[in-house]
Amino acid sequence: MGLFILRRFGVMILTALCLTFVVFFLTNLYPNLEKLAKTQGNARMTDAEVASWLDRNGYGGPLIVRYGEWLGVVPGWTREGADGEVTGRCIDAATPAEEAPTFCGLLQGDLGYSTVSDDEVSNIIGGRLALTGVLMFWAFAVMVPAALIIGVLAGMKEGSRLDRSLSTVSIASTATPEYVSGVIFIVLLASSTAGISPWLSEMGWIEGRTLFLGSARSAMDDVTFWNFTLPVMTIALYGMGYIARMTRASMAEVMTAQYIRTARLKGVSFRNIVLKHALRNALIAPFTVIMLQFPWLLTGVVIVETLFNYNGFGWTLVQAASNNDIELLLACSIVAVFVVLVTQLISDIGYVFLNPRIRIS
Amino acid sequence: MTDTQHRGLTTHPVAEMYAQEYKDGKLSRREFLVRSTALGVSAAAAYSLIGATPVAAEAHRATPPMGGTLRIQMEVRALKDPRTYDWSQMANVSRGILEYLIEYNADGSFNGVLLDSWEANEDATQYTLRLREGVKWNNGDDFTAEDVAANFIGWCDSTVEGNSMAARMGGLVDPDTGVAREGAIEVVDPLTVRITYPAPDITLVPGIADYPSAVQHRDLIGTNPLDHGVGTGAYRITDYEVGVQARLEKNPDHEYWGNTYLDEVIFIDLGQDPAAWFAGAEADEFDMTYETVGEFIDLFSAIGWTQSEVTTAATVVIRPNQNSEPYDNQMVRKAIQMAVDPQVCLDLGINGQGTLGEHHHVCPIHPEYAELPPLTVDPDAAYAMLQESGHADHVFEIVSIDDDYRRNTTDAVAAQLRDAGFNVERTVIPGSTFWNDWTTYPFSSTNWNHRELGVIIYNLAYRSGVAWNEFGYANPEFDALLDQANGILDAEARSEVMAQLESILQEDAVTLQPYWRSLFRHHKPEVINADMHPKFEINIHYLGIEA
Repeated sequence: MGLFILRRFGVMILTALCLTFVVFFLTNLYPNLEKLAKTQGNARMTDAEVASWLDRNGYGGPLIVRYGEWLGVVPGWTREGADGEVTGRCIDAATPAEEAPTFCGLLQGDLGYSTVSDDEVSNIIGGRLALTGVLMFWAFAVMVPAALIIGVLAGMKEGSRLDRSLSTVSIASTATPEYVSGVIFIVLLASSTAGISPWLSEMGWIEGRTLFLGSARSAMDDVTFWNFTLPVMTIALYGMGYIARMTRASMAEVMTAQYIRTARLKGVSFRNIVLKHALRNALIAPFTVIMLQFPWLLTGVVIVETLFNYNGFGWTLVQAASNNDIELLLACSIVAVFVVLVTQLISDIGYVFLNPRIRIS
Repeated sequence: MTDTQHRGLTTHPVAEMYAQEYKDGKLSRREFLVRSTALGVSAAAAYSLIGATPVAAEAHRATPPMGGTLRIQMEVRALKDPRTYDWSQMANVSRGILEYLIEYNADGSFNGVLLDSWEANEDATQYTLRLREGVKWNNGDDFTAEDVAANFIGWCDSTVEGNSMAARMGGLVDPDTGVAREGAIEVVDPLTVRITYPAPDITLVPGIADYPSAVQHRDLIGTNPLDHGVGTGAYRITDYEVGVQARLEKNPDHEYWGNTYLDEVIFIDLGQDPAAWFAGAEADEFDMTYETVGEFIDLFSAIGWTQSEVTTAATVVIRPNQNSEPYDNQMVRKAIQMAVDPQVCLDLGINGQGTLGEHHHVCPIHPEYAELPPLTVDPDAAYAMLQESGHADHVFEIVSIDDDYRRNTTDAVAAQLRDAGFNVERTVIPGSTFWNDWTTYPFSSTNWNHRELGVIIYNLAYRSGVAWNEFGYANPEFDALLDQANGILDAEARSEVMAQLESILQEDAVTLQPYWRSLFRHHKPEVINADMHPKFEINIHYLGIEA
């Protein structure tokens, strides 16, 4: 088991290395660097000014060396200006040139500097991740129980009317991507000129102008039912249908197994069959699927956070990508790799506990 | 509001001449105000010169109650050295701490902020700036002429990358060294600075009222105000998260020279999509917009917000770049111009919310505007001309940014060209990447903000080889005439040269410039003094909110 976990971590580091190198390579293509120089310097700089800006700010060296600097295996660049002032990767206002360390990269725990935010990446990404954590928590809290209940109810009696109607609902929800359902929710529930809000407010049933808020910005300080329902529902709905379908399939299969038939012949009540005999075995497959939803949610939050103006991890990723904020984007990639592989690890280990026939060696 | 009153000149020979021109009907009231206040005549005195009541000039702002929190929707971009600001939004945040010598009012007049008064000599080569007394920096230092001189030297330093103030300083910059000309900036006494130009220049006052000219402490020139927080303004920045929000509060450790009302101002960044702003307004995320655009103008009014409108010289140019094939051919450019009806662009691009332009980028509200004969629109003749030029098979790719009015206007141009028989392709580029190559796209649209004088625009964008010349336009004859116009203080005389400049631009078919935009802003009815400004300025010192 220990070896297994160790090996998984090895894979994780290797994946992170490959992914960050790809991201590093793409963000360091010259047009992207040019864009960076213009957003940092002045949007209307000339080509010569761009070249000199890039050189002065340490984007001049060979790609692989700069990647090494970011990793912390190559000494950070330093440069002496015409007026004798020394600038460098590891030098900033707080650490003057004499005290600056030689290496300052990922290995030294330095995630680098976000150019668009004009701040250390580590100062930014923590708070943003926490915000996304809150969103994910609520999305899971809604999605998982609802999906399991729908899946189990549908899978109890395959082909029944209940099964058909629940299956239709779950197929519809999983076939609707977030950017469609989010917009539909906003129009229907969060607009004072369209949907049901004008009608509700005319009847005097709601106090504000709209039923729910179409912007989750206020949820960053204080989560309420009104400002968080729409983003949470938008994320949850998409994953819910998928998990429900998986649970239904697994449940339906279990319900046809020999031991279930035996239990029925013994005269066990249907309720007890489902809860005591079928459920545990039926939940093995959905468990993996639920864990797989984490990476899916990471992509989901990108859309939902942008749509609802919630400044979390997904929103940061969009900002970093559109502004070519190299080090912020790299930090985001590391976080993404970490989340995906850790959830997969948990899913593999959890599998062992749910299914005694599987051994990890 | 009386605290911004300044004791400017009561009269000036040239201003009296303007007053006569106004009375003769040669000048509009607005033009008269821009020109005479630029000479140092106070707004009140200028009004009295033409026999108008000065009440309108001084009472254009209400006095709000003290206290309150105001939330403003605006992009929050990373701050930097103010000289290199490229967005008005940056200045709107830093204006709470870093003030300006002079400010430009929405009615076209100028009044002093850190300056008490200013005056020009008769040929506009020498300006005397008198500082407001009793102004202190929030670190305890006095605000003196040394500060002003240090800022002027900083502004003139064209060796600083992206310092757009150097272009505004014009003749004060020595072309050989790239820094301030020796003796151009003199400290006369602790409250007086004298600025001397080698040749007449009339753009000093508009130049130092523009948003990159925030006045920094003499020892902190070239630094980011966010790092030190030193300024003369009444506020301090307590929280600044790029792309999210900026929060300012009244600085309790600083005695501000004027009156100010709000306790707290929060700038909230909701991205670039107006739909997101509207969703934010419905969710009560903010109290006033930075700017409302397109169809959202009606939507914001529909939810009960107050609309504020100002007519400006802000515009969109849809221009070929003459450094690329086939736009180096004048006939091709002329054909494009003849095929496009500005009225259609105005109607489809901005719902008719503006006035028609004449493809020469000088607006009727500019003092030196000269009226030219109307342009002809003739798609058939345009196509014939295109065929004659031998480029009828060329595929015209027109690039625009992905937003509301600029995209729509460019679409309107593309559609009209297609109707005339041109092969047209449209490319839409997201806002985050559009500006990377904005000067070099072969054929694209760009928005230009309002400037106070027509010559300012020509110096910035149409002179050969200047940084913002996105037209690839280089015409020595034009440059020579422009030099001449730069030295003529009398707008009537200048407009004669201007007529030539305008018609050169039309003949060379340098650009399409179909309309002038009106700008709009919306705010909740309880917000006070939040009127739209032609240069998007927000001065939080004046704002207030009714409890």
